[in-house]
Amino acid sequence: MAAEQSKGLARAREVYLDRSRRAKELRAEGKKVVGYLCIYPVLEMVTALDLMPYRLFGDMREPITEADSYLPTVVCPFLRSCLDLGLKDRYDFLDGIITCHICDVGASLGGLWDYAVQTPFSHHLDTPHTLHETSLKQEKAMVVGLKEALEGFAGRTISAPALRNAITLHNQQRALVREMYDLRKPDPPLISGVETVRVIKAIQSLPVQEGNQLLREVISEARERRDGPRKKSARLLLWGSILDDTALVEMIESLDANVVMDDTCVGSRGFFSDVELTEDPLDGLARYYLTEIRCPRTFRSRDYMEARKDYMKDLESRFSYLHDYARDWNAGGVILESVRYCDTHGYEVPGVEDYLDSVGLPRTYLEHDYTEGALAPLRTRVQGFLEIIG
Amino acid sequence: MTQQTRPRALNRLKSMYALRAEVDKMYEGGGGSEEERKPVAWVMLEGWANPILNAMGIRTVYPENYSSVCAAQGLATPFMERADAEGWPSHLCGYARTCVGYSSRMVELGGEIPPEAPAGGMARPILLVGSGEVCDARFKWFQSLGRFFDAPVWTIESPSPSLRERLQEDAYERNVQFLVDELKAFVAFLEKLMGKKMDWDQLEHTGGGTTEINRLRWEINELRKARPGPMHTRDFWSAMSAALYRGAADPEGITQGHRLMYDEVKERVDRGIAGINRPEKYRLSFEGLPPWHSLGFLEQLADRGWNFVIESAYRPGRPVSIDLSKYDDPMERYVRRRYRSLDESLEEDYGPEEAEIIRKEILRDGTSRRLGLRHIREYQVDGVVLHILLSCRAASSGLNLLQQRMLDTLKVPALVIEGDIIDTSLFNPAEALRKAEAFEETMDHYRQVRKELGMPW
Repeated sequence: MAAEQSKGLARAREVYLDRSRRAKELRAEGKKVVGYLCIYPVLEMVTALDLMPYRLFGDMREPITEADSYLPTVVCPFLRSCLDLGLKDRYDFLDGIITCHICDVGASLGGLWDYAVQTPFSHHLDTPHTLHETSLKQEKAMVVGLKEALEGFAGRTISAPALRNAITLHNQQRALVREMYDLRKPDPPLISGVETVRVIKAIQSLPVQEGNQLLREVISEARERRDGPRKKSARLLLWGSILDDTALVEMIESLDANVVMDDTCVGSRGFFSDVELTEDPLDGLARYYLTEIRCPRTFRSRDYMEARKDYMKDLESRFSYLHDYARDWNAGGVILESVRYCDTHGYEVPGVEDYLDSVGLPRTYLEHDYTEGALAPLRTRVQGFLEIIG
Repeated sequence: MTQQTRPRALNRLKSMYALRAEVDKMYEGGGGSEEERKPVAWVMLEGWANPILNAMGIRTVYPENYSSVCAAQGLATPFMERADAEGWPSHLCGYARTCVGYSSRMVELGGEIPPEAPAGGMARPILLVGSGEVCDARFKWFQSLGRFFDAPVWTIESPSPSLRERLQEDAYERNVQFLVDELKAFVAFLEKLMGKKMDWDQLEHTGGGTTEINRLRWEINELRKARPGPMHTRDFWSAMSAALYRGAADPEGITQGHRLMYDEVKERVDRGIAGINRPEKYRLSFEGLPPWHSLGFLEQLADRGWNFVIESAYRPGRPVSIDLSKYDDPMERYVRRRYRSLDESLEEDYGPEEAEIIRKEILRDGTSRRLGLRHIREYQVDGVVLHILLSCRAASSGLNLLQQRMLDTLKVPALVIEGDIIDTSLFNPAEALRKAEAFEETMDHYRQVRKELGMPW
């Protein structure tokens, strides 16, 4: 008799702890698995070709040993960790990989991966960094290029109905994630920050249909549960660079605070708007992936043709969504965090701080080096911050 | 008895001094009232914006260069500390942190140039022009200066496709069109900002003028292949600012300066004079950006017979003759003059046979072991110094792989030195010198290995 598969939050935890298991099972059944770095690769096209998208993560609990030969220690430890895992054959079940120009090191990772890890198929997306009209055209060309490359790899073309269906499936996932985030609005929240990270990481380790099923189970379970997070003094919004491990959120939630909302890329960032189903679906995909994902790697301004600049209005156009999050999720403080050597987040910090100050939201900034051990001194900082916001 | 003074180890080129002095002109005219001054834009080094801005009558200054001026004079640290106090993370680019601190100080003084600023200082900008080329810092750094200036920020977007993608048939033409459209949008923005139209004839002058400067820089570098190496990397770095930052503003003057430099280097080659006043024991390449604050370190290495005959950064591209007459659009001419297809570049740089091998390697593996090594082979270097910069991902992230490739392919070893372009606290010259002494044995060993393998040097 087959063992009964766990469901909902328990299943999310299982997948979080052994995330490659499902991908390996499906691969054994003949499905091809395509790894992707960051949230800029167009997953809808991977799904439309009946391939399985599988997000690349690092492992902050695994010391980086092999990647030192390729990347110096002064670059992003998350990306070094990703490469390290590749070199240690932890991604040997991948049939392909899609990288993109998230940042300099992210862009160079594609070449290094080709050179040193040698996953059979690879494609790099030169995602533009501005929202100029010309950049949107360029992004569309990148999307077309990815489509052609994936079709060549899969040995078949993407039909229009298959692509529309995939867009619908991924939009459903985005809607379900938003629904799950709504469960963090009550006080106490019905789902914790730690559980949220587990769920998001789990759905990025499963085919989209299975991820959607998991989300439905989680939502249903959380609504009914009696053992959810307890009420605490502080409700916090978390902004920053990649957090693919629960450790930091665990540390915060071990104190007198609940993380009730986030703006990170293993969080809300990839799910809070939908791909528009345009006449040519590639137009909607290009627009979504260039303009809708609010990662600091993209240069945004109120109006790029504006010759007169107003700093505060510019900040408002870039960050007012954070104020909305804080209001809607009733967060009384903001923790800004960044992994060390993430330049794009680093340059954003002063602007975010100025904006949060202008709307009266208390904030603190934490920098970490993507190791579990480095979180201990941050605990004191968070404690201090919680005392300040009372 | 008269004591003989031993000459300095570096044998500086006389022609370098005039070119080095050009950089001071960037900062001249910063004083006086705003009405008296030409409008100033702070610009990042990338090659597209400068001729356009100069053609629009906007004076360009380069905070990246200015930060290196501050570092060279030991004056960067207070600005960086100020940036730290303002909340900019301390792992960010040393150029940027210096610029942030400078801007903060300027605001404190009501917009005036800080009296402690070296070389006359940078005048308050009416515009900030960032760049999508080369490094992430350049997307975000100027935007983050919004706390200090209400100057608008324009970020020039430019393509940076993977090598494999650059070999795709339509990629080059698509990227040319992208650049043409992007730069036209920039011009439209400038016209709005300045309230006047672009002078396209002037762009032909400012944009075209740099072509001859580039050709001369290339020819000078070709001369540097001679044994002994006639021009040390320190002279290259001292002179390059003139070409990179002032070439569009004063094409004739900078061209003439490089003609004189070419003549001087040629004369040294003819007479067998080296760029160091010691016997050339080792020929080296400097990979990465230099420690601007500690260039005296190179004097100590030269004293040991280390001649840095070439370097990886700021090298001029091979001059090519392009027929631009078939393009009516002045912006298209401007773009095509500089933006080359990878196919053509490989052919020109490596010759048809090797270019074909490289193409096949790129299409198969995404990269080629041969890339980035040509100067090591052509300048017959015995070793390279890899300068890992603790505040610069762009210049440092590829160096470890380069180290492997050089050793595997050319049997040339690398000395890894950690430091920084600006931050003196991150560089330990005594330790670097100790490592260098030990590295000589490694270079000797691999010289023998190359000999046994029948390699030409």
